[in-house]
Amino acid sequence: MSLLDGFIVGIPAAAAIASLVLASRHSRPLTACAGLATAACIVVAVLQTSDRSGDHDALSALFLLPIAIVYGAVGLYAHWYVIAESPDGAAGERYRREFLALTNAFALVEVIVPLVTNVAGMWVALEATTVVAALLVRLQGTAAALEAAWKYILIASCGLALGLVAVIVLYAAGARVLGMHYSPEWSSYVHDARQLDPDGVRLAFIFALIGFGTKMGLAPMHTWLPDAHGAGPTPTSAMLSGVVLSDAAYVILRFAAIADAALGPAIAQRMFIGVGLLSLFVAAFFLLQQRDIKRMLAYSSIEHMGVVAVGLGFGAPLAIAGALLHVVNHSASKSLAFFAAGRMAARYETREIAGIRGSVDALPISGPLFVAASLSLAGLPPFGIFRSELMILTAGFGSPAWIVAAFVVVLLVIAFAGITRWVTATTVGDAPESIERGEHGTLPIVGMGLGFCVVLGLGLGVPPALQTLIADASSLFGTSR
Amino acid sequence: MQHLTIPEAIAGTISVALLLVQLALLRSLVLAELITLYAAQSLFVAFISLAVGITEREWDLIALAMLTFVAKVIVLPAYMRRLSRDISTRVEIPERINVTLSLILAAAIMGVAILTAGALPLKTGEFLPQADLATTLAIVFVGFLVAILRPNALAQVIAFLTIENGLYFGTVTLAPGLPFVVGILLLVDVLIAVVVFAVLVRTLVSQEASASVDVLQRLSG
Repeated sequence: MSLLDGFIVGIPAAAAIASLVLASRHSRPLTACAGLATAACIVVAVLQTSDRSGDHDALSALFLLPIAIVYGAVGLYAHWYVIAESPDGAAGERYRREFLALTNAFALVEVIVPLVTNVAGMWVALEATTVVAALLVRLQGTAAALEAAWKYILIASCGLALGLVAVIVLYAAGARVLGMHYSPEWSSYVHDARQLDPDGVRLAFIFALIGFGTKMGLAPMHTWLPDAHGAGPTPTSAMLSGVVLSDAAYVILRFAAIADAALGPAIAQRMFIGVGLLSLFVAAFFLLQQRDIKRMLAYSSIEHMGVVAVGLGFGAPLAIAGALLHVVNHSASKSLAFFAAGRMAARYETREIAGIRGSVDALPISGPLFVAASLSLAGLPPFGIFRSELMILTAGFGSPAWIVAAFVVVLLVIAFAGITRWVTATTVGDAPESIERGEHGTLPIVGMGLGFCVVLGLGLGVPPALQTLIADASSLFGTSR
Repeated sequence: MQHLTIPEAIAGTISVALLLVQLALLRSLVLAELITLYAAQSLFVAFISLAVGITEREWDLIALAMLTFVAKVIVLPAYMRRLSRDISTRVEIPERINVTLSLILAAAIMGVAILTAGALPLKTGEFLPQADLATTLAIVFVGFLVAILRPNALAQVIAFLTIENGLYFGTVTLAPGLPFVVGILLLVDVLIAVVVFAVLVRTLVSQEASASVDVLQRLSG
């Protein structure tokens, strides 16, 4: 592990421990600094990787970016959030300490997933995200939070059990060439892919897609996602949607790279298209009938994970590059949307869409940022998601699976209708007289402003370093060795 | 005719014992019995880890067997018994699904798991022994069934733990060379998950005065 990796892991770890020990008035700014410092270290690691001087491969570096974007902003946002949402008195201080310690611990386990180079270690880190997230989701102490936490840990753990079957079967499949005792490094599997037991690799990929697909929120294994994202604290929802889903996608991609190299790309591509279309279908229709603003954003996450899966399924270099860029775009847009929605829910004291009216009037910065993030999620220009969806669809229409691309367009239009309907309902018009006008806290505004810059910036142009990274990462897929 | 080696015979016998314990989980409606069954199943997986470790001269597996024995046969069952004292002692079962029907369903699922593993064109006994894969899948799938059919928080935790036992069996028999540190991490992960489950169970009991998860049906759509 390099010194830079040491900082990337050590900063959230130290912040988690300090948050347990220190009073929350100290750990709030500490968490904000930890988020920004970790983000800065990740950006340096990404730049090093893009000019081939770093320790990571392109895919690892790319999947560190969602953590930089979300954890960097969460620290700033949580500075306000823990005060606004915590109970009064001693219980409030206990809540704040627990929340900040768990949030930093959550960032720690999330960042470990793309840093670990062996398949079994990835599984352990991903399971750890389940455990920490369940504690965070239940933190508000309501019946809904408890239900969401219980369903989350039970369903995600069962999914990850199948993920572990995938790890075990892949290990057995590698024994022929790598010997009975070896460290299950993903690079070894890719290197010796043609000598792996092909039936074992196929079986491992199927279990990985089902098992880790549960964590990624792919239908029909998505049922925990709307509950956990809806009932959890807002920063947790942002980290679940913006980072955990991409972490799970990362692990699936590692298995896909091995399957592509061992068996050729057709098998993984067919499965990606199947689960991707199903996810889009489920999400599009549930988006039309949402009553809760955070559950709406949760179903939008299922939609976008479906887009990523379909992009991987198309298999063309442009589609794979689009899918990888989409992961980063989704993290930025979704975390911004959750942050703004959390501000709206706090101001109106409800998450019910029917209870939120004229939020642009009541919250002159958070309201417009919610509109911008939602329009980005709906796939409108000039935001980043428009660019990555365009890349995926262009490749799709140019492939033999053009009919799938046509279905995707129809489902995206339905999802667009759902999102814009609820965004219009909650933001347009005058806020009720009883609702206070204006914003509270500077740091959450700064955090959301940084997020907006990423959302808009990735729509206006992809930085050369990121282009290099995506091109290098895309080369892992679609070819047998 | 192919003769079984002694390690294969031990693995086969323990596979059958593990599957019978998994079926017995659906037969019992008393929490204390479920915890005892889990401890017994854990004893079997610790034994197979020890047997494979001794025959293959794998000191890692012998050490893991010891740790498994301490953690899963002694510590976790004792912890679960303490937890169960705070909640109702009997497990509710959903209407229309009685014990007999549960067992028939479980037997069918086991059959599907065995047939699935058998139908896969794997190289039998070479790198992925089909019987061990079938046992692993059967334990995992029946564990899912227990979690679905027993709407009691602690029963669902035990279902999760038996699924993990199945995975541990799969690790030992299908991937005995998996590094020691990974085995330790898996064990630690389970222990932490159980502590988190326990936190949630206690919250559930304090909020709802029951460990029935039937009340957890408010969120939908």
